[in-house]
Amino acid sequence: MTVTNALIACPECDTLLALKNVAIRHQALCPRCGVVLYQPRNKSIIYTLSLSMTGLILLFPANFLPLLSIKLLGNSQEGTLWSGVIGLFQEGLWSVAVLVLLSSIVFPTIIIVLSFLISVHLYWRRSHQHLAVWMRCLQHLEEWAMLEVYMLGIIVACVKLADTTELKFGLGLYAFVSLLVINALLTQNVDNHLFWQHITKLRTHDPIS
Amino acid sequence: MTPSPSALSQGLLHCHECGYVASISLVNKPCPVCQSHLHTRIPHSLQRTTAYLLSSYILYIPANIFPIMNVTQMGVTEEHTILGGILSLIESDMLPIALLVMVASILVPLLKLIGITLLLLNVQLRWQRNARLWTKLYRAICFVGRWSMLDIFMISILVALVDLGSVSKVIAGPAATAFAAVVVLTMIAAKSFDPRLIWDNQSPRKSRP
Repeated sequence: MTVTNALIACPECDTLLALKNVAIRHQALCPRCGVVLYQPRNKSIIYTLSLSMTGLILLFPANFLPLLSIKLLGNSQEGTLWSGVIGLFQEGLWSVAVLVLLSSIVFPTIIIVLSFLISVHLYWRRSHQHLAVWMRCLQHLEEWAMLEVYMLGIIVACVKLADTTELKFGLGLYAFVSLLVINALLTQNVDNHLFWQHITKLRTHDPIS
Repeated sequence: MTPSPSALSQGLLHCHECGYVASISLVNKPCPVCQSHLHTRIPHSLQRTTAYLLSSYILYIPANIFPIMNVTQMGVTEEHTILGGILSLIESDMLPIALLVMVASILVPLLKLIGITLLLLNVQLRWQRNARLWTKLYRAICFVGRWSMLDIFMISILVALVDLGSVSKVIAGPAATAFAAVVVLTMIAAKSFDPRLIWDNQSPRKSRP
């Protein structure tokens, strides 16, 4: 799975380069601005397929099971990913609620679903008219899914609550952490260059060598 | 790999979405691989970045002046601004977490605003030195952008969890909307900035479309 002598332009400084074979676990850096041009991934398609399937299983528990619960003077309260969004919405901060909904629930879900759809098609070499659109969406959404930032938010919230209340971690938190790891691995393992090559080949009905 | 002149000077352009290198005659036409519109540079990059940047500067003021959350404990309501929240963390001897929150919600947004301003000045005033360093600044701004959402996520968790009537309650304040808007607008500003404009000034022929 290597690229041979394709003409590429650096996305950050527009230098025209001939991309030669890049071995797995190596990077191609732009000689002018130093950006990583290409970093081939080992078995990218099958890894993406298996990671996204794991992600699909984790989506439900991570979104709906309680992440944390607190106990204060006999009253207890549970918090899920959804209840934070709903809480903000009820206080009239609908724009913040929508932002939290998108970056912590909607975008990570779409990323996993799209990765699954794309890798299924590429693995079995099936063409689909929307393959390029899916791939474009996937590339744009990566930046806006913020599970790891949310995790940091959970940690800070825990520290703030720890001295006044009794905290308990829920089952949802474990699912959420797993989902976060899966999402991070997924963004790392999708080999954009290779995926686009395969999509181009599928479009022109060439057999993939 | 041998460095060569920019793709633009060779009459070629590079698709932002899939990296396909096409002839310049395809400008404003759909990319043959992914159907997105082809451009030599991001259209109206400087104007759009400036507009987003100015809006975030304006919103940065209410984000820091108004309370980001109101905490009620045993009937007493306290208003917390972003800075106030950090100070109360320091007072309760949680310095590492206070530092983390300070980096995410004060330093990162401020550095991003200043950084994007400098990038815009660089292109406008044609500062010819250290283009590589400026590209690094651009990359750093893109990387850190999302981490400022930490405070927003923390509030969403606290709002969901701490809802025990008059005993203990957290309500998000008006600054939350402004702060979230600053984070999103600076992320979009960084996205609309085209780093290749830094390098276009370097070449002797000043060909900027």
